[in-house]
Amino acid sequence: MTFLDRTTDARRFRHWEGNVEADYIYTSGVAGERFFVALRDEGRILASRCTSCDLSYLPPRMFCEDCFAELTEYLDVPKTGQVAAVTVAYEDRTGAKLSHPQVWGFVVFKGIHGGLLHRLLVPPARARAGLAVRPKLRPREARTGTIADIDGFEPVRF
Amino acid sequence: MTARISRWPGIELTAADLHEGKVTQTRFHPDAKYAWSAGEAMSRFLEELQNGRLIARTCRKCARVLFPPRMFCEECFRPTDAWTYIRDTGTIETFSISYLDTDARRIPEPILVGVVSLDGASPKMGMMHYFGGMTKDEIRIGMRVKAVWKPKEERRGSVLDILGFRPLGEGES
Repeated sequence: MTFLDRTTDARRFRHWEGNVEADYIYTSGVAGERFFVALRDEGRILASRCTSCDLSYLPPRMFCEDCFAELTEYLDVPKTGQVAAVTVAYEDRTGAKLSHPQVWGFVVFKGIHGGLLHRLLVPPARARAGLAVRPKLRPREARTGTIADIDGFEPVRF
Repeated sequence: MTARISRWPGIELTAADLHEGKVTQTRFHPDAKYAWSAGEAMSRFLEELQNGRLIARTCRKCARVLFPPRMFCEECFRPTDAWTYIRDTGTIETFSISYLDTDARRIPEPILVGVVSLDGASPKMGMMHYFGGMTKDEIRIGMRVKAVWKPKEERRGSVLDILGFRPLGEGES
């Protein structure tokens, strides 16, 4: 071995193993708190609104990106949203193979800036942009104030 | 807090607020494992300690015997060439009389630590270790010493497979 070769597996040699302790607690912030509490307690999806710019933000932001005003007004997003983009996952976030492919989508609401990235409760073959969807919430007692209080978005049947 | 600012903006949260779930939050525990390797040269060095031997690397170009061993010569900037065993006797280069133990606790009887240059390695090359079998009044720079090894079955491939260095006896090698 010369010093131009690189050792890529530390376990080939005498080595020490360890675990980096990097636990964290991340709070939702002022606007995020409003969003998650409304979702958990009332099953509502809230956007924040800038009255002077006539812009609504989802997830809600505390400040308007256009005029920097502090936002205090909140409104419910429409009951039905549209899928803007989809992706089908075959591996979970650790890289392990999933038993069934999962469908993910970015859901937008008319008149609202932004959207939510979430599961689409449709088979992969039906996953497409433009699909009209609505949130499927977990039962009140199972909701904890996280984005997982929404099970996913399911198609609206007309 | 400065004199001009009596109150910072924002919402203060205590650790208790977080643990009682006063606000919504995301908790995450990353699975961040690592393996730290001693590398090619030091791994061999540690394994040889288990055999009760000290091993070095030679550089053909500068004719040095590098101890502790390394896979490249920092003088010639080229890979080193061969393994060679050196002796477990040497000379005290420098020492400290420490009234603190390895956890920095005060101790009444001092421990003796320092650097010993080893016979067979290039001048001034050696290792840091404990000194024993001598008092704080007897230890001196230039003293000839010899390694005291742990019994073979207790060695683990660590520098502590050597208990320390004791004075080299008259006529001993």
